[in-house]
Amino acid sequence: MSEPHAMQVAPREEPRGTRQAYLETARRELVVASERGEGGRQALKQYSHRMDAMVQQLFAEAGGPALQPVGVYALGGYGRRALCLHSDIDLLVLFAGPIRDADERFLHAFLNPLWDLGLTVGHQVREVQDGSRLDSDNPEFLLALTDARAVAGDATLIDRFLERSDSARISTRTVDALKTLIAERHARFNTTLYQLEPDVKEAPGALRDLFGAQTIAKLTDPALLGQGGSGLRALEDAEEFLLRVRSILHLETARHHNILTHELQERAAERLGYVGTTARQRVERLMGDYFRHARAVDRSLRWALRAAPVLIGPNLVKAADGIRFVDARQAVERPETWLAAFQVAIDAGCSVSDDALGHIQQHAGRFAPEAFFPTAAHRDALLHFLKPRLGLYERLSEMHDVGLLGQMFPEFRGISSRVVRDFYHKYTVDEHTLLTIRNLERLIEAGPERERFARLLAEVDAPELLVLALLLHDVGKSRDDEHVPESTRLARQMSERLQLDEASRGAVDFLISHHLQMSLVAFRRDTEDPEIVRQFAGLVGVEDRLKMLCLMTLADVEAVSLEMLTAWKEELLWRLYVDTYNHLTLAYGDEVIDSPSILADVIDGRPSDLNAAEVEEFLEGLPRRYLQLFSRDAVYKHVRVARDLTRDPVQAWLERTRGEWELTVVTGDQPFLFSNISGVLSSFGMDILRGFAFTKPNGLVVDMFHFSDQERFLELNDGGEAELVRALRDVVAGRTNVAARLKGREEGIFRRRSLGFAPVVHCDNDSSRRYTIVEVVAENALGLLYRISRAMSDSGCDVDLVLIETEGQRAIDVFHLTRNGAKLTAAEQQALIANVQRALEGRS
Amino acid sequence: MKMIKAIVRPNKVDEVKTALEKLQISGMTVTEVRGHGKQKGHTAIYRGQEYNVSLLPKMEIEVVVSDSITDEAIKAIIESARTGEIGDGRVFVLPVDESYRIRTGEKTVS
Repeated sequence: MSEPHAMQVAPREEPRGTRQAYLETARRELVVASERGEGGRQALKQYSHRMDAMVQQLFAEAGGPALQPVGVYALGGYGRRALCLHSDIDLLVLFAGPIRDADERFLHAFLNPLWDLGLTVGHQVREVQDGSRLDSDNPEFLLALTDARAVAGDATLIDRFLERSDSARISTRTVDALKTLIAERHARFNTTLYQLEPDVKEAPGALRDLFGAQTIAKLTDPALLGQGGSGLRALEDAEEFLLRVRSILHLETARHHNILTHELQERAAERLGYVGTTARQRVERLMGDYFRHARAVDRSLRWALRAAPVLIGPNLVKAADGIRFVDARQAVERPETWLAAFQVAIDAGCSVSDDALGHIQQHAGRFAPEAFFPTAAHRDALLHFLKPRLGLYERLSEMHDVGLLGQMFPEFRGISSRVVRDFYHKYTVDEHTLLTIRNLERLIEAGPERERFARLLAEVDAPELLVLALLLHDVGKSRDDEHVPESTRLARQMSERLQLDEASRGAVDFLISHHLQMSLVAFRRDTEDPEIVRQFAGLVGVEDRLKMLCLMTLADVEAVSLEMLTAWKEELLWRLYVDTYNHLTLAYGDEVIDSPSILADVIDGRPSDLNAAEVEEFLEGLPRRYLQLFSRDAVYKHVRVARDLTRDPVQAWLERTRGEWELTVVTGDQPFLFSNISGVLSSFGMDILRGFAFTKPNGLVVDMFHFSDQERFLELNDGGEAELVRALRDVVAGRTNVAARLKGREEGIFRRRSLGFAPVVHCDNDSSRRYTIVEVVAENALGLLYRISRAMSDSGCDVDLVLIETEGQRAIDVFHLTRNGAKLTAAEQQALIANVQRALEGRS
Repeated sequence: MKMIKAIVRPNKVDEVKTALEKLQISGMTVTEVRGHGKQKGHTAIYRGQEYNVSLLPKMEIEVVVSDSITDEAIKAIIESARTGEIGDGRVFVLPVDESYRIRTGEKTVS
């Protein structure tokens, strides 16, 4: 076969005649081959090459290269270089950008000559951005794309086109579509390949089945057809035979005709050189071979349909031995895709295959850590991967075994197989580290004996940060001296590389630098001493960190040896957790910002537009907890907006973080303020997840609510944020009644009431010097916070401090109340409890 | 010989151990135990719900000492384990008739 070559350039005045002559020459070559019964792969490939040259010439003549980037791709049989004499020429013309008038003119100049030549052209014209809508494209086009081959113009556009789609989803849809098309086609032939006059393209066992098997293998496992069915050699033979027969059919009928009729069987037998004294004998031998090849194709197709691994992610399939790369050569050059193999293995509850692990092991050392998470999306995916779930330990162990973990986290390499001798540890440092993560994930299916810790894990806001901290908590043991400071230093490097936000870095830093602290206090200090608990509460600051440190301690101690974590130690740990939790949520109202030493840092670090006096004035009297909940930037922002309260008495704004919304309100106190704000959020259908409210003795209020917008009001309405803030101002100013806004929604809630657990309302007059504390644990529902806080205000109470938590379906709210500036009497508490209970039951 | 069994607060074990070591008493058995004495546990509250903590975590220290230093050992334990609050624990003293060293079979008679 000669190499394709550019068509002879014709004089400009006679291009059509030259093209016609060129096409005739190409066709003549194929006709001659077909006449000799040799119109198989080689001949069709040669004809396809000739057609390529002509398409390239037409593309150049139409002015393609002078326009915006555009590429022409062969699809279907032409894409596979199996173009028969009268086959359609299937083309995809892909433009880089929007198609304009000049592009339309190019299309006419390019396609018209093909039609003028009498060719049947099937063409698709697309823009690269259409790739994002590929998912909804017709299945035939998706199938044709699997054979796309660049012929002229910009060959890279197809990659850009496909990159815009969800490749895994497209591949899955393509395979599913292919299976459906195969079943429908077979049904038309009564699902039998033994046709007396078979269609060599469409019938069961014919060319479409052969290409179908090849496509399934291409999309799922390129080695598939070599592992079962008839085997590669039998398939090659079948393809050659069927193509030769098809070429004869096109030759004999001079049209796109693929049915091997009785009459054409005789012609084909003759051209293919079958021997026999009679035509019938020759035909019988031909058809004997046909059915043999058709059976081979059928067997391989059935094998492919049965054994093809399931597409499960981009370039990933789930096979019997675990997760595999479809195209390993492509995968090894794209380290940022490797984590997805471990992610889908966890999702699918299987392992990563030895084959894929082998590829990773061979190539991991070539890449710097940043190559594994080059974009924010990859870094987010890494954090998502670290969420504790069953299988995480196994996958991390696989990653460690093949050197990937150490390559992604170079800090981890130093503790690989590291032996540190002490009285307690029974495993190498790396395995101890990974076992801590296994201990954490086992909480997910823990029995009643660990239920209390399992619930803590479910409540932690970002458990992936806990896993990240566990992964790095002992990396400092790579050196022989004190390991905690070194672990902390190395973890900061990693946080920097992962570009964690300030809050996440703070959490990881805190956990690693204090990972020994809770066991020290729980097991070696007198935790019945309130001062010990107060000091420990001061260290952890907020409940989420307490929960994470508690879980970290549990997992860390348990990973030392089988005997290390006893039920006795668990009890001590839990008691310290409960005492500290109670201190954080019940006693914080008494610990206010009142001394220069607490203020010094904040004042010294203030931006130039704030003076020390106004920062001090703003902070004094707020609970110290305020400084642990808000970043310095947020504190300074609050100081600034507090300046403006004389001009505008309600300062409120919305921000979006990690998929949740955050409403901050700074204003002056007034009756029913808290219930009004929460009522406005509920009236927009917002589900309040977490939050807190602080009231200073001088009446300044800082409230913050985290909520999810379940009805997507803010997302779908351009002016939604402004509308919500406007409604808030109207309600606070008394221009709108929040109860009226909520009426319809509340009726719906009480109609739909579920019979969950009984609500708990508990009053505590002992934990705080200044406040009566009311804890409410109830089934979460829209408007719950509004109803509870309104009942409190209706009872004459001032709601000074509030902590809001939602844990699954359970709302846990803690209110610090006074009545006429004092704690509530026993009788007032009883009345309040009754009012709140009524509100919870919808009777108020 | 006497066996001294001391039930102490978990955080007091190291101090008791140090005090006994000063009396040249180095062999001891330390066990994690749970129980209650006069305290009979207490009521704790978590998220508004009361629950009873009846068995409190304690440490049990066992030492066998010669009669001649029994009083000193008891005094050392009490002084090192005391906080003055309810829940400091108890010390029990039991007679020991004889003991055997398993490795050699050597017998010690009181």
